[in-house]
Amino acid sequence: MPSHASLDGAASETPKPGFVRSGHSKLGAADRRFGLLLAIPATFIVLLLVGGPSLQTIVYSFQKVSFKGPTPFVGLDNYVRLLNSDEFRHSFRITMVYAGGFVLISTTLGLVFALLLNERFWGNGFARTLLIIPWAAPWLMVGIMWKWFIDADVGMFNGLLFQFGLIHDYVPFLANPSGALIVTIVAAAWRQSSLSGLLFLAALQTIPPDLPEAATVDGASTWQRFRLVTLPWVRPVLMVVLVTNVIFGFLQFDVIYAMTQGGPGNSTTLLSILLYRQIFQFSNVGIGSAIAVVLGLVAFTVGLVFVNFLYRSESVYGRAVE
Amino acid sequence: MTPATEVRPPLLGALRRAGLSRRSVGRSVVIYVSFAVFAAWVVLPLWFTVMSSISQPAEMVARPPHWIPLRPTLENFEAVIGASSRGNNTSDQNARILLSLSWSLIIGVSVAVLNLLIGGLAAYGYSRFRFPGSRSGYVFLLVARVVPAIAIITPFFIAFRVTGLINTSFALIFSYLLFTLPLSIWLLRSYFDALSPEIEEAAMVDGASRLRILWTIVAPLAAPGLIATGLLVFLEAWSEFFYANVLTSQMTVPPLLASYNSLQTFSWNTLAAATVLSLLPPVLIAVVFQRYVVSGLSHGALK
Repeated sequence: MPSHASLDGAASETPKPGFVRSGHSKLGAADRRFGLLLAIPATFIVLLLVGGPSLQTIVYSFQKVSFKGPTPFVGLDNYVRLLNSDEFRHSFRITMVYAGGFVLISTTLGLVFALLLNERFWGNGFARTLLIIPWAAPWLMVGIMWKWFIDADVGMFNGLLFQFGLIHDYVPFLANPSGALIVTIVAAAWRQSSLSGLLFLAALQTIPPDLPEAATVDGASTWQRFRLVTLPWVRPVLMVVLVTNVIFGFLQFDVIYAMTQGGPGNSTTLLSILLYRQIFQFSNVGIGSAIAVVLGLVAFTVGLVFVNFLYRSESVYGRAVE
Repeated sequence: MTPATEVRPPLLGALRRAGLSRRSVGRSVVIYVSFAVFAAWVVLPLWFTVMSSISQPAEMVARPPHWIPLRPTLENFEAVIGASSRGNNTSDQNARILLSLSWSLIIGVSVAVLNLLIGGLAAYGYSRFRFPGSRSGYVFLLVARVVPAIAIITPFFIAFRVTGLINTSFALIFSYLLFTLPLSIWLLRSYFDALSPEIEEAAMVDGASRLRILWTIVAPLAAPGLIATGLLVFLEAWSEFFYANVLTSQMTVPPLLASYNSLQTFSWNTLAAATVLSLLPPVLIAVVFQRYVVSGLSHGALK
């Protein structure tokens, strides 16, 4: 966040018009101390909870650590071993594929759902209630439901295909490497498309109604209206949704854990699963922490784009001059 | 969109006489077909889970499948809450679900209350006052929101084990502040920012203390934001699996369900009943408080 780093130091010099609109005249030293007192406990707790463990994890990644005994420094050894490991490289690739598929499905479906629910029709209120339900379901339970939903013995999805004559025998989707990857992506996207849809819908509802109407009067087709009116309007939200989905995709753990535990073979072993195995099953804390640092850096970099973006949109009314 | 061509001419004539244009019929067809697909996408996995929870295992293997069980039963629920010794082999896992549900509730409420208190005060501080470090403190909180909790769990695990706090509710409540506090401060600040400070200033001129103003004037005005934030934080805590799995032995609901899920002896029907029980609270909250939840989500992501 290079653009913000400079702001930190200069915080006290630049007046922030929109924020404390009438505050400056009445803010004496006592009030400033009051503000500081309010902010300290939470900020300190977060500093302790985020800063400490983050640094410690980075330190671990340069050490040879098990849960008992001494922890000698080994330099870049853990990282070198990771880069030379087929397992890690495979896992990294799979994570990319997983995140890519997840982002694509969640975002597209979310937008389609939002466009549908933004239309006026009988049953719309009910449909909006439906939209929120997948989001309310915890990730782990989403994984459990989908694991059994597509199960080869009792699963309703197989039943559905069977009923319509599309298959003659139930298919064990999770037994096949690419099948497992696809199904775990779809299961996670089931929940995330709901969140994306809610966010898109909130944005669509802020479109002034006369805007599409004017476009229609001017002879715009449905597609043109979507491309020239709707899409530009939701573009900022699209950005937010995309970044959120990328992060959720990279960090997915629960759904995989419930559905495949990383299998069959290593076909759904995302970095998060690899990290968990290395640390808590093999007690390779050093290697596991190196994976955590890589995963953390990827998510963190993408996340900073997100924060930067939110921060900008806030500063539109928060600061007069950038 | 020209799907009206699918409608056969005589029908179209009748509809047109009824005052419906070709365009509006086409629109309705597209909308209701999409609606049906959307509803199926959302409902089918849930329907399957609920129906499995009231089915007997023998009925599950019927082909073609039974969409509604012929002989519905509550045995699975009895088995999972330990009220009956019949049903499935739940062995020593009996009645654990009620305990875990209670712990999930206690931990979720505690985390939500702590967030509203500590996070609310901080959010108000950052919203209303400029003090040395106010900007860098706030930027730090934003950045903290982006650090993935999953990557930094080992130090928590080791610290809690060394201090003997592993497998306690404190370990979960404390570590959940890690990812909930930055969120709640961000959310609440955006709600506080939207309130005009004039009322507070008027009250201050009348001699009310800052804390009193915060409690009696600001908190009621910001109630929708406080409710939305509290609910979102509660739902986050209720859903959290990774930390609960590593730091406790199935104290809350998600790790308990994960252990059921991995037991070969545990039938899907019983697991489905446990899943239904664990899904009900968050789904009910989201549906009943839809307005607040959606407001919170869009404040969190879009403001």
